[in-house]
Amino acid sequence: MLKTHSVHGKFTISRNHLERYFNRFLIYLGVALFLFIILLPFYWIFISSFTPKYQMFSIPPRWFPSEITFENYINLVDNIPFFRYYLNSLVFALFSSLLSVMLSFLAAYALARMRFKGSNIIFLIFVVSIAIPQIGTLVPLFEMYKSLQMINSRFGMILLMSSLILPFTVWTMVSFIQQLPEEMEEAARIDGANLVQVLWQIVVPVVKPAIATMVIINFIISWNELLFPLVFATSSATKTLSVGLVELAVDPAMGSGRPWDLMSALSVSMIIPVLLLVLFFQRLIVSGLTKGAVK
Amino acid sequence: MNSSSAYETKPVIESRSRYHRPKLTKTLLNRYLAVLLLLLPALGLRLFTSVYPFFRTFYFAFTNYNPAFPPLEFTGFANFTRMINDLAVTSSLSFTVVFVLISTILQLIFGVLVALLLNSSFIGRTITRAVNLIPWAIPMVVAAMGFRWMFDSEYGLITDLTYRLTNLSIPWLTTSIGAKAAVIIANVWKSTPFLALVFLAALQGVPRELYEAATVDGANRLQTFFRITLPLILSQVVTIGLFMIVWQLAAFDLIYTMTGGGPGYATSVLAYNIYQAAFGGLNFGYASAISIVLFILVFIMGGLGLLLFRRVEVQY
Repeated sequence: MLKTHSVHGKFTISRNHLERYFNRFLIYLGVALFLFIILLPFYWIFISSFTPKYQMFSIPPRWFPSEITFENYINLVDNIPFFRYYLNSLVFALFSSLLSVMLSFLAAYALARMRFKGSNIIFLIFVVSIAIPQIGTLVPLFEMYKSLQMINSRFGMILLMSSLILPFTVWTMVSFIQQLPEEMEEAARIDGANLVQVLWQIVVPVVKPAIATMVIINFIISWNELLFPLVFATSSATKTLSVGLVELAVDPAMGSGRPWDLMSALSVSMIIPVLLLVLFFQRLIVSGLTKGAVK
Repeated sequence: MNSSSAYETKPVIESRSRYHRPKLTKTLLNRYLAVLLLLLPALGLRLFTSVYPFFRTFYFAFTNYNPAFPPLEFTGFANFTRMINDLAVTSSLSFTVVFVLISTILQLIFGVLVALLLNSSFIGRTITRAVNLIPWAIPMVVAAMGFRWMFDSEYGLITDLTYRLTNLSIPWLTTSIGAKAAVIIANVWKSTPFLALVFLAALQGVPRELYEAATVDGANRLQTFFRITLPLILSQVVTIGLFMIVWQLAAFDLIYTMTGGGPGYATSVLAYNIYQAAFGGLNFGYASAISIVLFILVFIMGGLGLLLFRRVEVQY
């Protein structure tokens, strides 16, 4: 390229320009296509939730409804215990997240900082247990919970959810803790601080961002969970939004057609808190999700 | 796993214990007690809610356990022989493998492409990267419901779009092959952004000088990608690929919400079978036996993946 440049100077400069414009064009084309594909389902769910029911079932489908309505949301609140489910989802997600992060932090500190016989094996157990499929453990869990009378118990569901996200949380927390300097803890220990003091006064203030990150990520994962609430929540006192949504999808009382009007309104209500978290904490979430994988 | 700095600052106790066993002093005892206290809650919870149920499944798989018809009896391999003639299970087994392999390959390819796109500079990059997080963050049930509706043969947006583009009305969810494709498309849409995120982080760690050197040497874009970019992120690609295979073998939410395994058994997967057998039919014994098949599948495909991973690790 350099050679031709010196011989046909003018020509290559314009060719380079052309090439650069073409590259720009390709990138923006790719971005446009990417945004279209990612956002299309959201647009459709969102716009449907504000489309009057009679316009919803038209052939061909209306990409832009001619009328906007809140009717679907009003019907939703009338048809299912919406606020109850919302509260249940919040409690389930928040406490699962807090409990899993708390337990993971303690375990990760031991694994990252205290060398002891078998620490690698225990770390391996955590990692490998990710591979045990959740669905394959449901029958024994159901039997166990039945004998403990913990079916339909909020606490029981939170325990299961925390356990499910523990391995990933421990894995990420270990990477977070390992990259912190150890001198402060050493100094505190020499000064005679006990473990609780070291953890609470030295370590926790430094890993606060990591803890916040994992609380947010685990909240999102728990908020989205279907299987545990589907199996273990048997009354509206504990059912979550995800269960409400699939019940609408398979409810025989709704006839053969699925109630898309209610389902889209419920979906939008369910997505909103998650979208807000992503918008406000994008940086934290990305750092948490990539921490374990990239080193 | 261990950063080098963590090794350098390790307490003296460790290096000493290698050579001559120290006496069980009070400080050492305290140390072990502390480790135990820190680990016990997390480890205990995992053991009770995951490891113990895992092994218990092997016991139930050889019984006729049904909570509605109490006496639990040992039935030997009856559940497994029943499975061989159960079309629901055999077709699920093959579609589970197809679903996982095709999904993972497509997710890896598109994941790398999206990561390359998000790593190039353009106006609006920050907001585009935020948008990339959204499919990861929303519930699978919502995505599945949205796609179920978009693929609807009469009112669906995608059906309409493919009709406008190709003039063919594709029966997405009413034919076996169409439903299989639709489920895989929805699954790829949902998980590709997460892979792109990880690959993007890996790409940002590739030193710029390498690309500059390649440009000076006159390498074209494809050469740069295959000789520099791909080898440098290959270990992440293989790790995530392995993770996705193992993880997606147990995929449930998508199938349950989007197709219910239909039409017929076309899109049924093992996880869906297990759920139906256990909580649709209360056949806990049979559900456990199908779970064993799933465990074996995870073991085989995870094991093959690990072997591949080792090879890549050695090469690079």
